[in-house]
Amino acid sequence: MHDHLSSTFAALADPTRRAILARLALGETSVTELASPFEMSMPAVSKHLKVLERAGLIARGREAQSRPCRLEPGPLKEAASWIEEYRRFWEESLDRLDAYLREIRAARTKSKTNGSGKKRSRTKSKE
Amino acid sequence: MAQSANAANAGTEFVFNRTFDASREDVWNAFTQPGHLKHWWGTPGSSIEIAHHELKPGGLFHYCMKFPDGRAMWARFIFREIVAPSRLVWLNGFSDEHGGLTRNPWVPSFPLETLNTVTFAEQDGKTLLTITVVPFNASKEEAGVFAGGIAGMKVGFGASFKVLADYLEQRS
Repeated sequence: MHDHLSSTFAALADPTRRAILARLALGETSVTELASPFEMSMPAVSKHLKVLERAGLIARGREAQSRPCRLEPGPLKEAASWIEEYRRFWEESLDRLDAYLREIRAARTKSKTNGSGKKRSRTKSKE
Repeated sequence: MAQSANAANAGTEFVFNRTFDASREDVWNAFTQPGHLKHWWGTPGSSIEIAHHELKPGGLFHYCMKFPDGRAMWARFIFREIVAPSRLVWLNGFSDEHGGLTRNPWVPSFPLETLNTVTFAEQDGKTLLTITVVPFNASKEEAGVFAGGIAGMKVGFGASFKVLADYLEQRS
């Protein structure tokens, strides 16, 4: 299916590469410009750029010398939406848990005020 | 936590907190009893059917998430630590209908299993839940994929991620 998500995530695992992407979000940049804030050798930056390019996260111009880099939003967007799903899985499960715990408590309070006089029965949902 | 050592190569874990206005026992029961789990556990939009649930170290929780469009997806827990009502640890993964591990359908290089630890702490009559997810027995590649995905969720992206998020927003 979306096997390229794997290579996107692998590329995103490195903090320098994430920083490079963040820089490129501001606009197209030459490799030299890109390298300057990172205190890294050009070959080291080039290596990171290759990984990003292979993952489809950036594209590079043809101009022989500078080969400007630009962000390719597609794969990053796909990755962001998968990450969002994963987070949502937990978020929404816990929302449901929260609602369910309230239900349990409401049912318990109700059975108490009904004055059954019995000890707290095993908690059950409404049905 | 000692288990975090498993993720040492990744250097990354997914941590999630939530406070519930409920007693620790209630939250614990909701997490550990099949009769309760079916009311809330599972991917959003699905309802779960429980094939097996055995709450003991090494025990299996095997369930199927059913979606309104007819799709079904199996998953499983293997319980590792059960310390009622304060700590629950399990190996989490997708599975087939027989309980055999399967790959994450969306990200095949995601670790086959993650080690999920949930702690339940009393706090002013409420319950603070902390969920920690780390890769389990992952290859270097799988750990990297987990770290990359998780990094996107964390503030680790920080200000940079805000820039990226805004950028992606403009493009949508």
